[in-house]
Amino acid sequence: MKEIIATLIITMTLPCFAESKQINRINSITGASTWEISTNGVYFSLTQILPEQLQAFYVNRGFTLKQIEPYSSSCVYMTVLRNDSAPDAIHFVSNEWSVLSAGNTHRLKSVDEWIRRWENIGIKKSAIVAFRWAQFPPEQVYQPGGDWNQGMLSIGLPPNSQFDLIARWDIKGKAYESKLVGVQCAK
Amino acid sequence: MSRNLSEYNVQSKKITCLLTLYIAATSIVTGVSNAEQLPPLTHKLTVIDGGGQAPKLELHNLDEDIINIKDLKGKVVVVNFWATWCPPCRREMGSLERLYQSTKHKGIEILAVNIGEDIDTVFSFMGSVDPSPSFHMLFDPEGSSMEDWKVRGLPTTYIIDTNGKIAYRAVGGREFDHPDILNIVLNLTK
Repeated sequence: MKEIIATLIITMTLPCFAESKQINRINSITGASTWEISTNGVYFSLTQILPEQLQAFYVNRGFTLKQIEPYSSSCVYMTVLRNDSAPDAIHFVSNEWSVLSAGNTHRLKSVDEWIRRWENIGIKKSAIVAFRWAQFPPEQVYQPGGDWNQGMLSIGLPPNSQFDLIARWDIKGKAYESKLVGVQCAK
Repeated sequence: MSRNLSEYNVQSKKITCLLTLYIAATSIVTGVSNAEQLPPLTHKLTVIDGGGQAPKLELHNLDEDIINIKDLKGKVVVVNFWATWCPPCRREMGSLERLYQSTKHKGIEILAVNIGEDIDTVFSFMGSVDPSPSFHMLFDPEGSSMEDWKVRGLPTTYIIDTNGKIAYRAVGGREFDHPDILNIVLNLTK
């Protein structure tokens, strides 16, 4: 009986990870690769953004090439997370997500850390505002039926690196996760 | 002379290169040429049970007149936070105008709060939207209203009832002219 209870407790505390198939595709117009998966009613995708495209976007919003270089070369993705049909609202903190690369695991560099860096080197306020709101939300709640966001996410790896990314969220305290495998940073 | 021409050519190539990159970046970030990968816009709104009073919102519009949400009490108000570089914000803007056209005779107002951009940028974008927005475009250059409204990502939209209370919320892009949303908005006027 104790074994059954122990097994039940362990099962209940482990993150829920329903089997689902990852799809990788390449946009025929832009050439950008996308990795996507739907797990437990939640859609999750990463689409490559080239360093040069990031530089052009941020230079047009007040950064210099030199200022934005640490970010543009940090393997950035257009990220979508969407609650299509989870049983309830999902809540996540992206700083709790894990990047697995070359046998190492690291957390994502937070948006606040980037902003502090920009403030310390005197980037103008309007450029920082654009940077902040172009990022994937550091924390968010999505109701089922289609709440979602699309934003930039820095993985913190050099160009051409390969990695797995585990996204985590909870529903009323119960942990869930979704893993994208073999994602490639743009060259 | 030949040196000047050579410098001119190098300069011209640099400008062409940057322009090409900017167009490519805008396409990726705005999703303009990325249509086949864009997630569909839905039409579900979240009911906010016991929604409190709408936070303060007092900003200038395109004509540089100050618009205060308090002055709109008694009307249903749709408050949409957005930016031109946000792909789902761009995609839903036409549907917001169609919602406005279908409901303005009932006294419904739409306030689209632009975050961090200038009038020229927004004006230029409006010309590319079909139909072009005719509701209030408000400007929040430093994004200070986002904290008051607890906005964590763009776009986020709130629907305020005639008592000035938050009735519905949508996080992410929506088809605002869908009959489901149209009915919700019209029912709030009754």
